[in-house]
Amino acid sequence: MALVGGAALALWFGGGTPLGAVIFRLWPAFLNTLQAGVQRRIAPELWDWVFLPVLEAPSWLVPAALGALLLLAGLARRR
Amino acid sequence: MLIKRPRGWEIPESQATPEHLVLNRRALMAAAGAGAMLAPTVAKAQFWRRSEPADPWTRLPAELPDLPPAMRNTRYPAERAISPERDAVTFNNFYEFGSDKGIWTSALKMPTRPWTVKVEGMVESPGEFDVDDLIRRIGLEERVYRLRCVEAWGMTVPWTGFQLSKLLDIVKPLGSAKFVRFETAQKPEVMPGLRQSWYPWPHIEGCTIEEAGNELTFMPVGLFGRPLPPQNGGPFRVVFPWKYGFKSGKSIARITLTDQRPVSFWETLQASEYGFWANVNPQVPHPRWSQATERLIGSNERVPTKLFNGYGDFVAGLYSNLQSERLWA
Repeated sequence: MALVGGAALALWFGGGTPLGAVIFRLWPAFLNTLQAGVQRRIAPELWDWVFLPVLEAPSWLVPAALGALLLLAGLARRR
Repeated sequence: MLIKRPRGWEIPESQATPEHLVLNRRALMAAAGAGAMLAPTVAKAQFWRRSEPADPWTRLPAELPDLPPAMRNTRYPAERAISPERDAVTFNNFYEFGSDKGIWTSALKMPTRPWTVKVEGMVESPGEFDVDDLIRRIGLEERVYRLRCVEAWGMTVPWTGFQLSKLLDIVKPLGSAKFVRFETAQKPEVMPGLRQSWYPWPHIEGCTIEEAGNELTFMPVGLFGRPLPPQNGGPFRVVFPWKYGFKSGKSIARITLTDQRPVSFWETLQASEYGFWANVNPQVPHPRWSQATERLIGSNERVPTKLFNGYGDFVAGLYSNLQSERLWA
């Protein structure tokens, strides 16, 4: 399912579109609110070091990676 | 008769931990594991905070020249105490550097000399001006203004600078110019926020030509008698003291006179919360909180907010024919 989602994102928004750009297009205010919450209530560096690299990655990569992990987990369980 | 003597390790079934609590404990342990992974990040952040120098002024870029002396203009009394200097330069909003209030350490890495500002668009004499040349040409004055942030806090600070109308006198706006657009500099090498390529950079703010020509509209180049630090919008910014603070663009690199109403950065992100006019009004709440009062930075005292931040005598007339506009957000 996640792999299909990743492929759909790549087709819909273009292969190189960052995840952040997709989220911003769908919910323009969401990332700003999330960033304020993370940087003001937890640690400013958490946003720069953890969230930003994920948001800068191509949008299809996150669901694709999740799908691949689930697939591997399923295969391991079957064995 | 069977007599059962429990061994030392045996307990009654009733004392066994319920299954759902055991499963919850696993979740708790997973959360603790995640917390342990994040702990170095948080600890490092805390360490950095502790290692900050006591006086932020000592970290001002070395190339900043001293400002020429400026007389205080007493036409604009602040009617409340000036905020502590340290709070004013270490509690800032400047999104290009991040969302937290402690961005001053990153902002101080921005070089602020030489600094030029382009003034262009619908003007007779467009040009690119060196900020220090403008300071010498126009001269400086000091004004103590109240600042009201849309986040319901306030400060009172002495800005050093000149009225925007004096800069407009130099470039001579055409009759067709209706709006002024302020563009913040883009310095990706020191502004981590610009990595978020999905936002509509550069940061844009704007006002009408009438607002730009109002006597209150000020272009600070200094704060507390010293060169304006980058975290406060240095070396050159605009201040509209009767509007919520986000309208006052920082570190300005370009000013454009136009007949099109500028769509500001924040308006693009969240128009319902950050509109074009954004005049201070305690009667009109922000969608998520009241604007009736404000917390004064430094004393933490909560005081009532005033209409137009108390500057109604100077600016209310600007809006007498604009009642159909959303003037207060």
